[in-house]
Amino acid sequence: MSFTRRGALLGALAAPAVIGLPRAAPAQRAAREVRVGFTQDALTLDPANHRNRETQTVIRNIYDGLMARSPDMQVVPEIAESMRVVDAATYEFRIRQGIRFHSGDPLTVEDVKFSLDRLTRPNAMGGQTSPRRDLLGPLEETSILDERTVRLRLSQPWAPMVGILPAQEIVNRRHVARVGQDGMQTRTDGCGPFRLVDWRRGEAVIMERFADYYGGSPEIPPAGPAQVDRVIFRVLPENATRIAALLAGEVDIVNDLPPSALRQVEASRNAQVMRVNGTRSFFVSMNVAKPPFTDVRVRRALNHALDKAAIISRVLGGTATPLRGVMSPDSFAFNPDLPEYRLDLDRARALLAEAGVPQGFEMVIDTTGATREVAEAIAALLSRTGLRVRTQMWEGAVINPTWMNAERRRERDMYLSSWGNASLDPSDIMLPTLRTGGRGNSSGFSNAEVDRLLDAAEVEPDQARRREMYQRAQRIVSEEAPWIFLWLPQDLYGVSRRIEGWRPQADSRINLHRVRIVG
Amino acid sequence: MSFPRVLERLVQLPVVLFGVSLVVFLMITLTPGDPVEIMLADQRATEEQAAMLRADLGLDRPLVERYLVFLGNAVTGDFGLSFFHRRPVIEVIAERLPATIELTLVALLIALLVAVPLGVAAAVRRDSWLDRGLSALSLFGVSLPGFWFGILLILLFAVQLGLLPVGGRIPFDAEVPRLTGFLLLDTLAAGRPDAFLRALSHLLLPAVTLGLPAAALLARVIRSSMVEVLAADYVLFAEAKGLPRRRVLYVHALKNALIPAVTVLAIEMGQLLGGSMIVETVFGWPGLGRVVVESIFARNYPLVQAAVLLYAVIYVLLNFCADLLYAALNPKVRL
Repeated sequence: MSFTRRGALLGALAAPAVIGLPRAAPAQRAAREVRVGFTQDALTLDPANHRNRETQTVIRNIYDGLMARSPDMQVVPEIAESMRVVDAATYEFRIRQGIRFHSGDPLTVEDVKFSLDRLTRPNAMGGQTSPRRDLLGPLEETSILDERTVRLRLSQPWAPMVGILPAQEIVNRRHVARVGQDGMQTRTDGCGPFRLVDWRRGEAVIMERFADYYGGSPEIPPAGPAQVDRVIFRVLPENATRIAALLAGEVDIVNDLPPSALRQVEASRNAQVMRVNGTRSFFVSMNVAKPPFTDVRVRRALNHALDKAAIISRVLGGTATPLRGVMSPDSFAFNPDLPEYRLDLDRARALLAEAGVPQGFEMVIDTTGATREVAEAIAALLSRTGLRVRTQMWEGAVINPTWMNAERRRERDMYLSSWGNASLDPSDIMLPTLRTGGRGNSSGFSNAEVDRLLDAAEVEPDQARRREMYQRAQRIVSEEAPWIFLWLPQDLYGVSRRIEGWRPQADSRINLHRVRIVG
Repeated sequence: MSFPRVLERLVQLPVVLFGVSLVVFLMITLTPGDPVEIMLADQRATEEQAAMLRADLGLDRPLVERYLVFLGNAVTGDFGLSFFHRRPVIEVIAERLPATIELTLVALLIALLVAVPLGVAAAVRRDSWLDRGLSALSLFGVSLPGFWFGILLILLFAVQLGLLPVGGRIPFDAEVPRLTGFLLLDTLAAGRPDAFLRALSHLLLPAVTLGLPAAALLARVIRSSMVEVLAADYVLFAEAKGLPRRRVLYVHALKNALIPAVTVLAIEMGQLLGGSMIVETVFGWPGLGRVVVESIFARNYPLVQAAVLLYAVIYVLLNFCADLLYAALNPKVRL
């Protein structure tokens, strides 16, 4: 009897095998279908109505922009055929001919103007203002010069303008009129390589190849229609499940692979790991308004005390690039000549003693669940100087606003933090985190020369001079050391060996236009 | 249950909901964390834009006014716009709820199918190795963390054996028109038994993950209650009459033994609805639980408020049904 009961339980679990439930196995897949195991669902399919990177990744396969980013992060024309800088505050774009939306409507300069107006004008989206408005900085007016040319006029010179355009997509103004603001959330009519088939909320976004696609940017070969019939973004938020789906052959690309899964994926016969330097710089903010962090010697001492290489190799599995400053080495403005705070415990102890910090002095590193392990490792390594460094865990939604507010962080010591910089332009990371009063200036750093350089670079049209300004600013920041400079984690992807023509790019986009199936 | 009593229960419902709405509103809005800051994160934004967004979402108004507006709109079924989806909350919930209910019901069915025979068998062979084994097993089941068990099942049945899919609800090529949102019903209504089986194959692992821990608790309750009932005189009498053992157990004894189980079942169902949050995340199941968890972290106030109210309604109604069933199973109970 007991055997039978137990058998029944096991039988119930194994029932599918017995009754032959069909499985969505790779063998049953459409031959030319690529699936992405993705961490998050799109929040909306309206390109103008979100501030979310994952949503942008999905949408960018349906909608194209005036400009695009190549896998090596170069800004290249896409819907625009060419761009002309008229002056520091005026840009002209010549629109490619023969582009059609998925509905068959031709793309015109009116659509370009409509899309940019919708992004920048107050109440332009059925009474709402686009949450993306600030992304286009001081863009004041988009005007049509002739049937192939639009002019963008800024209220003041703003150097990052071109770099921000790949993140803005062009919509069909007739489609917006047809479906209304609400309809735009779920019904698409882009001119990108794939058209929407179905959006199963929380589960998948299903797209099929758009046969009349104009081909995308010729500067990112191969141009032409997509090479697969169907692509599916499957929402799998849990790391272990995403990896299991890859190993089971249910998906072909998974994003956000944790370093702990590298070996597992590398050991499998049907998948490989692909990696690229990410764009998120990690650092430990020190509260420069609170003693002993007011003393630059203390801040330098902590930089000398941290064995970054040990954390990168032992905690992060070797999946990060150490940073001497704030910028990614992939940015045009990276300063390769910054001095390094070499690991030197004696020097660190000496600097602390000079600054009058007693042995056993207690410091707290604030951190969130996602970075707990790293914070604990940092605390342990810093404690080798004789300080007593411990960590305190917080929810990100609580601790972030605390550190962004001078009054609320008054009693805090250090914060293990990061800032993303998808455009790789220093304007998007140095200005918010290091300019006086910047929205993300958690350390409270303030330096008149850095402010002046950052402000000047913001309006300087000459890229070489901008680079020079940012490099000088980086040197000052490095000397002043408001942060313990940490690293730039790599973005890791698990990729099936049955696909080719795709490689990860630093801004985390997964553009499937050029992917093809080989296995 | 008498009509006035039923009426009284129904009148209690709005009072409970008002209380829940106030508590939830205060809890989520007083929790530190700014939805606008979370939304803008580390993207380019000025203070002016943040203020505009805050005004757009109604977050610049005083707390009392926000609660009154929320309450006034909620009475008419308008729960506002989800901050992050930028669509009506009710639309987002309606899309996700059927998946959660379908998963919960199948999990409950699995729990019953496992718990009833095991509970009865343990009671019948009281103190045997089977009884002790089942006790240990149910303790294990109750303490089983859903995310761990789910991942284990995925690794075994999806990756190693390749028998079942890793996650999701139904493959793209088996999709059927949406009638009820319950895929098992919709596939049958569409006359697609193949799609039904494929939907079932997607449902099985999450439902087992959710259902087995529930079965463990239920089996323990049924076992204790059955032990008590089996010692009653009427059972002895039924056996003395020469009724077949199976009939005595499953008709005479089990009916009475199920009375305490009904209450546990109602509570379990409520817990399954809530517990599905983790299982939905593990299996990429597009249910309400997952979107609620995401919304809590993102301080998406309107969605959390509406979802918790909905959970409260379901919970109250389930307990109400349990009371009705309790009375039906045991005529001595007068509510």
